[in-house]
Amino acid sequence: MHEMSVALEICRITEARVGRDSLPRVREVGVIVGRQSGLEPDNLLFCLDALLGRPPFAGARTELEVVAGDELSVSYLEVDDGDPPH
Amino acid sequence: MAIRRIEVRERVMERNDTIAGEVRLRLGEHGVPALNLVSSPGSGKTLLLERTLQDLGRELRMAVVTGDVQTQNDADRIARWTDDLVQAVVTGGACHLDALQVSNALEALDLDATDLLFIENVGNLVCPASWDLGEAAKVVLFSVTEGEDKPLKYPKMFREASYAVLTKVDLLPHVPFDLEQAVAYARAINPALTFFRVSSIDGTGLDAWYGFLRELHQSGGSMRWERPTGQGVGAAVDARAGYA
Ligand SMILES: Nc1nc2c(ncn2[C@@H]2O[C@H](COP(=O)(O)OP(=O)(O)OP(=O)(O)O)[C@@H](O)[C@H]2O)c(=O)[nH]1
Ligand SMILES: [Mg+2]
Repeated sequence: MHEMSVALEICRITEARVGRDSLPRVREVGVIVGRQSGLEPDNLLFCLDALLGRPPFAGARTELEVVAGDELSVSYLEVDDGDPPH
Repeated sequence: MAIRRIEVRERVMERNDTIAGEVRLRLGEHGVPALNLVSSPGSGKTLLLERTLQDLGRELRMAVVTGDVQTQNDADRIARWTDDLVQAVVTGGACHLDALQVSNALEALDLDATDLLFIENVGNLVCPASWDLGEAAKVVLFSVTEGEDKPLKYPKMFREASYAVLTKVDLLPHVPFDLEQAVAYARAINPALTFFRVSSIDGTGLDAWYGFLRELHQSGGSMRWERPTGQGVGAAVDARAGYA
């Protein structure tokens, strides 16, 4: 039921990392969700898609890795540096 | 296109847990034990707090933070029984309180003039289990009208809690509810749970509850302020009369 709160926190973590390391556009957010974390993976994915589809994310994808246990973490960001200058 | 992968490896609850740790430290410095009251909607959290303030208010200085999705009804109900400030947090949709909301609510409270802090969480047996608020212990309430098997249906909450309060026992003559079975189910999930059986209407079991609160207050300064494991205070009071 608290998937939206968790999704918002994942977006906050992503934004903070992008700001801190001056990262370019985020293409994909890797999230690890434990089966005992109390979250419904499909529901979380739905919330993340809704949030990441809006600014400042402009359509980043979510890659959910469902694991045993109660882990819940942002594992990686995939970013796009764009075309290299000629 | 040049795609790179950046390792993050950050726990989603990291920030909440950091703030909860700060809250725990601050409460510990002031010797104020905090109880995080959790239950499904309507199990009797507010009425138990009303009774507690009414009966114990002259003896212990108790501060209350209430969380509700909408309205500050519970804070208004509780405020009738105390001259101290009752802090209402309206979550505006969120199904739980988080540590930042509690931390902000503490700003308005005079912790030096407080013996005990109650946090009434949003009525919900799922979500509040995942948010540490900096409490000394979670207290899960469930009423005899909810069915014996609540602990089996919502195991995480019963695992996180150190204390369980069976409420509305005045209704036992009117509802089929096997009290021993309910306790057994809860203990199967969490053997360390300390049980109270109370009625906030006719007062059954409240002496044991008040005894526990007095003891918690007295241990306030010396308690270990780590995340509770269900041992400690719970084990100490468990053997006494009035506790299941
Ligand atoms: N018979 C009986 N009724 C009770 C008892 N405790 C609470 N109630 C009633 O149960 C209803 C809900 O009680 P509350 O104290 O508002 O419950 P709550 O857990 O604070 O509810 P939320 O904050 O909405 O989750 C009210 O109508 C109370 O009067 C009790 O010990 N016995
Ligand atoms: Mg209430």
